[in-house]
Amino acid sequence: MNFDLSQDHKVLQSAVRDFVEKEIKPIAMKIDEEHMIPDALVKMMGEMGFLGSYFPEEYSGAGLDMLSYAIVVEEVSKACGSSGVLISAHTSLCNGPIYTFGTPEQKKKWLPALNTGEIIGCFLLTEPNAGSDAGGTATMYTREGDEFVINGGKIFITNGGYLGTGVLFASHDRALKHKGISAFIVDLKSPGVTILKNENKMGIRGSYTTAFAFDNLRVPVENLLGQEGKGFNIAMDTLNGGRIGIASQALGIAEGAFERALAYSKERKQFGQPISEFQGIQFKLADMYARIETSKLMIYKAAWLKDNKMNYTMESAMCKMLASEAATYVTKEAMQIFGGYGFICDYEIERMYRDAKITEIYEGTNEVQRVVISKMLLS
Amino acid sequence: MKLLVCIKQVPDLESRFKPDAAGTWYNEADLAFRMNEYDEYAVEQAVQLREKLGEGTELTVLSIGPDRVVEAIKKSLAMGCDNAAHIQDPAASGKDPWQIASIIAAYAKDKGFDIVFTGMQSQDRGSAQVGVTVAELLGFACTTTIVGFDYDNGTITAKRELEGGIKGIVKLKTPALVTCQLGLNIPRYPTLPNIMKAKKKEITVIPVAELLATEALAATTSFHPPAKKGGGIVLEGDVGELVDKVIAILKDKTAVLR
Repeated sequence: MNFDLSQDHKVLQSAVRDFVEKEIKPIAMKIDEEHMIPDALVKMMGEMGFLGSYFPEEYSGAGLDMLSYAIVVEEVSKACGSSGVLISAHTSLCNGPIYTFGTPEQKKKWLPALNTGEIIGCFLLTEPNAGSDAGGTATMYTREGDEFVINGGKIFITNGGYLGTGVLFASHDRALKHKGISAFIVDLKSPGVTILKNENKMGIRGSYTTAFAFDNLRVPVENLLGQEGKGFNIAMDTLNGGRIGIASQALGIAEGAFERALAYSKERKQFGQPISEFQGIQFKLADMYARIETSKLMIYKAAWLKDNKMNYTMESAMCKMLASEAATYVTKEAMQIFGGYGFICDYEIERMYRDAKITEIYEGTNEVQRVVISKMLLS
Repeated sequence: MKLLVCIKQVPDLESRFKPDAAGTWYNEADLAFRMNEYDEYAVEQAVQLREKLGEGTELTVLSIGPDRVVEAIKKSLAMGCDNAAHIQDPAASGKDPWQIASIIAAYAKDKGFDIVFTGMQSQDRGSAQVGVTVAELLGFACTTTIVGFDYDNGTITAKRELEGGIKGIVKLKTPALVTCQLGLNIPRYPTLPNIMKAKKKEITVIPVAELLATEALAATTSFHPPAKKGGGIVLEGDVGELVDKVIAILKDKTAVLR
C-alpha cells in the first residue's frame, strides 16, 4: 500500500494552494459579508481549470482525475467554503451527469462552456416537498411535439443565481413516484424561468441558493438527459459522486479552521505560557486532527475507487458523513481554542463555524448517508 | 533558438530547520519543498520569451537533486517549458556552488543554448554564485539581479537593480546568462489543463556522475541556529544619558543611524 499523493498530485496541490493563498484567502471575508463571489474570481477559477478538472480535454476539461478534483475543492475550501461549494455543485452535479449520461452531441454542446467556467452549472432536484425523498417530485413535464413543457418549482438550488445551465428533474406522472422522473438539460435564461429568491443563509453566504418557478418552460426534446423515466437513477448516481465534492469542501473547512487554531494555540499566552502547553488544548488539537485525517483518508479512497472504476457508493457516503461531522466538530473546537476572539468576525473562525453546518445537511443529509451505508451492510 | 532555465527546489522558508546528523546542513525530514522563489521569476521570463519567439524555440528546464525535485520540474513544465533535464543527485545539497555550476556547464556545453536563465540566488544556501559561475564556464556574457528583460535579434536588454533602488540598463549579446530578481515579473499559476499537458512532456534523467568532474572548493563545516539572544537591556539614568546610550547602541548594533 502507498498513502502518498503522486508527484503529479503534489504539483497540483501546491499550484492550487498558491492560487488560493493569493487570490481567494484575502477576499474570503468579503465574499461572506457581501454574499457574493466576485465574477473576476469565478473567471479566474475557470481559467485555472477548477471548474472542469476531471473531464476529458476533448470537452475542454483539464483531463485530470477525481482525486485531483477532491484536492481542488479541499484547498479552495480551506480559505472559502462558498467558493468550494460553487466548484463542487457545478462540477459534480451539472457537468458530471451531462458527461456520464449525455449523448456525444449533448456533451459537445454543453460541456466546453461549463468546463471552462464560462457558464456556471446547477442541479435542480430539491423541491419544497421533495428533499431526501426525491420520489415526491412535483415539478411536472408533458411532451408537446418536439418539446417538453415544464411547470413547477425548485428550491435550495446551489449556483442557481448564475442562471447558467441546469440539470433539472421533473415527473410526468406523480403516481409513478421515482419511476416517473426524467432529467433535462436546461438553459436557465430561457423564457418561463423565474428566480423567486436567492436565500439569505447562515453559512456559505457567498454561494447562491436559489428558489425557481417554472411556468411553461419549453425544452427541446434533444435536451432529455438519459432515458425518459430514468431521472431518479441519474440523480442518485450524480449525488454519489457529488458527495466526494462536498466531503472535500467539509474537509477543507475543517483544515482551514484547524490550521488557524493550531497556530493561535502556540501564540496565545495565558498564565505565563502558550495555551498549547495546556493538556486541555492539546487534547482538543489531537481530536481535531484525528478527525481531519480520518476524513481525508476516506475521501481520497472514495476518489481512488471512482478513478479505478470500482464501486464507491459506500465510501462516498462514509466520507461525506465523516468529513461533514469533522467540519462541525473542528470548527466548534477551533472557536473554543480562540475563545472570545473566535466569536469576533475578524478572526474568520466564526465564518468557518457557520459554513461547516450545511455540509451535514446537503448532498444527502447525514441521516441519508447512514441509510445508504447500513443498507449496503445489510443487503 | 534554444533556452535553458535552471531551477532549484528549496524548503518552505517558514519551516523549522534542524541540523542534520553531520551538523553541516539542515535535516530534510518533515520539510515541505517548493521552487526557489527567484527561479520562478527565471522560469516565467524564459516562458514569456519562449511565447514571444514562438515555433522553433525550445525551452529546457534543468534541476539537480533527488527525485523530489521532479515536482519543481513538473511545475515549470506546466508553466510552459518544453522539456526537462533532471540531473539525478541524492547528494546535491552537500555540493558547493562550484560543483553545481560545473555540473550545469557540463550539461549545457555542447547543446547550443542561446540564453540561460537562473534565479539570482537560492533561498536556502544563498551563495548567488551558481549563475555567474555557469556563465564563466560556458564563456557566456552575464548580468545579474535583473528586474527587466527584453530580447531582440541577438541582443538582451536587461534592467538591473542596484543598491539603494538605483536602476541600470545592460545590453549583452547572446549567448548570455541572466540571473533574475524579485520584481522582474509575476510568475503565472500552472493551470490544471497545463499540469495535465505537462505529464506528456519529456523529462530526461541524467545521473550526476555523468556530468560531475570537479572537486568541491568550499565545504560547509557547520550548520546551526544562532546562539540564543540574551534578555533585553534595561537602561537607567536621566533622560539625556538614556538618549546617549540608546544612540550608541543603535550605532553599534544596527544600521538605522549610519
